[in-house]
This record gives sequence, C-alpha cells and structure tokens, in this order.
Amino acid sequence: MKREYISVAILCAILMLNIIFTQYMVHQYFYEHYANTIISGAMNILLFPAAIFVYKRDQKMQKGMKSHE
Amino acid sequence: MTENNNKIPFNEDNYTHNINRNNERKLDRRGFMKTLVGAAGVFAISSLPWGATAAKELMGLGDKEYPHKKITDLKSIGVGDAVDFAFPGEHDSAILIRLSDEKFVAYQNACTHLRCPVFWDKKEEEMICPCHHGKFDVQTGSPIAGPPRRPLPEIQVKVDKGAVYAVRVKRYET
Ligand code: FES
Repeated sequence: MKREYISVAILCAILMLNIIFTQYMVHQYFYEHYANTIISGAMNILLFPAAIFVYKRDQKMQKGMKSHE
Repeated sequence: MTENNNKIPFNEDNYTHNINRNNERKLDRRGFMKTLVGAAGVFAISSLPWGATAAKELMGLGDKEYPHKKITDLKSIGVGDAVDFAFPGEHDSAILIRLSDEKFVAYQNACTHLRCPVFWDKKEEEMICPCHHGKFDVQTGSPIAGPPRRPLPEIQVKVDKGAVYAVRVKRYET
C-alpha cells in the first residue's frame, strides 16, 4: 500500500472500531452488564486521542515528504 | 504558470490561469481525515453518558431500599392468585403471586422484551406475556420461552400482620 494511505486506513479502522464498541456498549448496557459497558465506553474515548495522534503524525509525514521533493 | 504571473500584461491564452488546482486533492484528503477524527470525537463524547449511567448503576443504586409499601391484605389473595400493584414508582407496574400459604413471589411485570405487562396464568402456572408469547418461570422470573432473554426483576416481599408488603427490588444477576 502506498505510504500516504496508511494513515487514512488507520483512521478508517478506528472509525470501524468506534462503531463496534458503541454497538457493544449499548447492548451490554441493556443486558445490564455494566462493567462491559464502561470498558467499551472507555475504549471509545481512548480511540479519540489515538485518532488525533494518527492525524498529527500524518500531517508531519506529509510535510516531510514535501520538503524532500 | 508562475512565469505568467510576472509578466504584466501576460498572455490571455486561457481564462483559468488564476485557478490553482495543485493542492486540491491534498486538501480533500486532509479534510477527509479531519472528518474521521471528528467522528471519533463524537463517538467518544457520546460514550460518556452511557459510561456514567453504567457506573451509577454499578455503585449507587445497587441495593436501594424503598419505603415499604402495602400491596394487599392476606385475606384477599388466595393461593394461586395474583394481584397487580406498582412498585417502587407509581408507574413501575408489578405483580404479586401467591404460590402457597407461605410463599409469595413478586416481579416487576414489564416484559423484558418490549415491556408489555406480563400476567399470571393460573392453569399453566406460568407468567405469560401476551404480546409475543414470552413466558417466565414463576419461581425465579427467568425467561423460559419466547423472545425475552432477561429475567424479570424480582421484588422482595414481606408478610406482616396480615398484609403483604413490598420491600425492595432485587438486581438482575449479571
Ligand atoms: S413484549 Fe413480551 S414477549 Fe414481546
């Protein structure tokens, strides 16, 4: 895969995980498994800084690539 | 294009000389990534209330005792009969069933499938939900047939001076 698409792919994966965790969280809530609800909610929250990190890193890489051209 | 900009007046060989498309695709990609990050943020923030209410359920409400509430007099409920009442709130409808002289069971009777009121079928000795024929075990409140997957929340009752009182709502087993 071309290097510039890796970040996009990671972000898409993060979005996918977000969807999965949200779905799981809501279901576990209604099944009254509150610990699982909290865990998946926390995962959702942790994914946000991860996404920001990936974005920042990508931005840096882009700048680096431009200066090499 | 840059050479053109320095010549005044430059050759008007086309009318799009001032449209710079060089970075357009890059901006698109960046905007797309920003949207993805934003979506992650929305997901993160919308998880907060779920986590908060779950934590509240886990710690606080666990085993709260409500003010005791009289359901019915002993005399007016025969063995095998059932009465409807509301506990703990006005709108939390519940059902009390007398299984034997001594034994009473009570459940919140909103079906755990789609909240239809569950009733007591004396002949079949089962609690039945009329909406989609969900059935519950009268001893434990656990679902035995139909769509419901979770047990009915049990209400602890106490017999005192010829009357039946509701004491507290048991938690679902997790
Ligand atoms: S609401 Fe009770 S079975 Fe569907």
